[in-house]
Amino acid sequence: MHGKASPSFIRKSVYGPAPGPRAAELPGIVGLELRDLFPDIPKEIYTEGGDLSVIRKATENALKNVNMDMIRPTDKVNILSSQYGYQIMGGDVYAEMIRTIKDVVEERTGCRNIRLRVTTGFRIREPNEIIRHYKLNEYFHGKALGVRPIDKGVPIETEIGTLYGVAQVYDADWIIHAHHGELRELDMHRMINRAIKPFSMSYARMETRAVAHMNFGPRSSNFVAKVIFNSPFVQSKFTFGCFLLTSPGGIIGVDAGNDMERLDRRLMLLGFKSYGKIRELFNEIRECIAVMDATGEPRYMIGGGMTFGNLTEAELDLFDLDKIPVSLGYGLYERPAGAPKLKSINPAIKALVLNHMWLGVPQLELATHIPTVVVGRELADLLRDDPMNHDFMRHVVTSENLGTAMEFARRISQTDQVIVFDGSFGAITLSASLAEHLIARAPEVSRRVEEQLMPKWLRQRGIDPEELSNRNH
Amino acid sequence: MVEIRLLAYVIKKLCISCGACQNVCPTEAIIVPRKKAKAKVFESKCIACPNCSGICPVDAIIMVPRKEPLRLGVQSMDVDEVKIKELCIKANLHPHQWLCICGTIRVREGAVAVLTGAKSPEEISLRTGARAGCTAYCLQPMLRLLKAHGVKVVQPKGYRWYDTTQTCWDVTEEIIKKYPGHFIEEDKEVFRKV
Repeated sequence: MHGKASPSFIRKSVYGPAPGPRAAELPGIVGLELRDLFPDIPKEIYTEGGDLSVIRKATENALKNVNMDMIRPTDKVNILSSQYGYQIMGGDVYAEMIRTIKDVVEERTGCRNIRLRVTTGFRIREPNEIIRHYKLNEYFHGKALGVRPIDKGVPIETEIGTLYGVAQVYDADWIIHAHHGELRELDMHRMINRAIKPFSMSYARMETRAVAHMNFGPRSSNFVAKVIFNSPFVQSKFTFGCFLLTSPGGIIGVDAGNDMERLDRRLMLLGFKSYGKIRELFNEIRECIAVMDATGEPRYMIGGGMTFGNLTEAELDLFDLDKIPVSLGYGLYERPAGAPKLKSINPAIKALVLNHMWLGVPQLELATHIPTVVVGRELADLLRDDPMNHDFMRHVVTSENLGTAMEFARRISQTDQVIVFDGSFGAITLSASLAEHLIARAPEVSRRVEEQLMPKWLRQRGIDPEELSNRNH
Repeated sequence: MVEIRLLAYVIKKLCISCGACQNVCPTEAIIVPRKKAKAKVFESKCIACPNCSGICPVDAIIMVPRKEPLRLGVQSMDVDEVKIKELCIKANLHPHQWLCICGTIRVREGAVAVLTGAKSPEEISLRTGARAGCTAYCLQPMLRLLKAHGVKVVQPKGYRWYDTTQTCWDVTEEIIKKYPGHFIEEDKEVFRKV
């Protein structure tokens, strides 16, 4: 049941150190196939390094029933992409979906002025790194552009007042929303309007992102995305959405549509089915050393198809809308007695080893909550000068190499259970001891999700589980 | 207290005077004083956020170590606790929640800055050290504190920031009814408990 671990490609960036030895190469580290734990995880059509023509074909098929009649040959069209998509499985798969969208739209509409917008969070240089790495400017004939949340804005009149998008996102006659179904910030979207979240994040100015993050609550923040998406301005430009569908096993397909509500519902159901059990399995980990070893920031680093954020918050079932982790704006302070539970750092994480990661999001809470070892001087220097984590290095120790970091982590944590977030899909990279524990717990997790949790998640969103089950049969 | 160890430095021979940097600086620490002039950094105002160096299209701005760190922070004992609490309540903010996560600055520190005379986000930044990191999330509590204190917030020229501060408290009953399943009332109740 234990195979060889298969870590994802690490893209070079000014935000991270040069890639070095990988955690998957450490003695005693194995790959645990997810389908051996949960055979019902939706089957993948692509995993990293596979044949990208499968993705092209899936995208072409998904777009067949999409209406593109509104696009005239003389129009300008922006395909909108988000930086995180390019972190999934090395990024080639998302890039291929985007290239295919361009080709299909050109062929169907005769329009030749199709531009690409690569949006980002706080790593301002990242979009241009992406455009260079995947040669997107060449593919888009010089019309690929990186846009940042601090770029010039455009006012968007909504039902709750004026919010601001990034001007270069909307500087076309039409926009195409090219995204993915990976869970990412589950604590913010809670699978409510998940499909349109980028309208208040990736495509929005920083003030509007902060409105969603800081001024709304642990379940209501994606309401901001809803009112932006529903605004006459956005609706006058919106054409269709095209989504790379993921499960922890890999890419399971491509979905597209003009009706985002229907697409969102399909994405939600798939999200529960794909991620529900693995997420709950993370809650069965009682003690572990977590190792970060992939592209991006720890919170969104993938291990076994799930982000590290799902382990740090494993105690809270974030699909369950009765659970209230007080989100960013109202969280992370010393709470008064009786106040709702804060967004947590799972105490099962006994030590954290940062082997490879990028800067670019505030993540001090990791260093202050978990004994942390930074691997190598280069990463330590980057973290010391990271403006988003002023005090990070005051709370951690630095080790010369990965081997000594792991030794130190084992000594302070008193556990040999290791889980590695190395971008892998299909299998979790972990120690044999943790693999045995998860294998033993999986059947009970499967039962709990099927009998208790899944019906609850569905009912909370107005879906009758029995009706759904009958329809699927 | 935030310790700023770096400083923006303009490589003059590379600067093309485009002005992109001055539109993203949270403290007006970098300007292009006139057409075709090179960008200029005011050392005492630079809080070493990543914006100007990141946005520069020709990589003409780099971050260099300061000779001495710049230490920014407010003393909360200068202001009556009751007034701090009153201002926070008026802004629907909790005094102990984060104002700026990157710099680990609490809302109460922003309230102190406002109560001791800060009239803009830029002035709150220079008093507290907030917006030295992502420069984004902290802008909302800053604007909300200023408005709650009755400061007439003036949006700057260009696009350093836009004046928008919608909160769940501002959503009308009609809109809440129109969008069921978005938990606005329920989340307000959570915040009331906090």
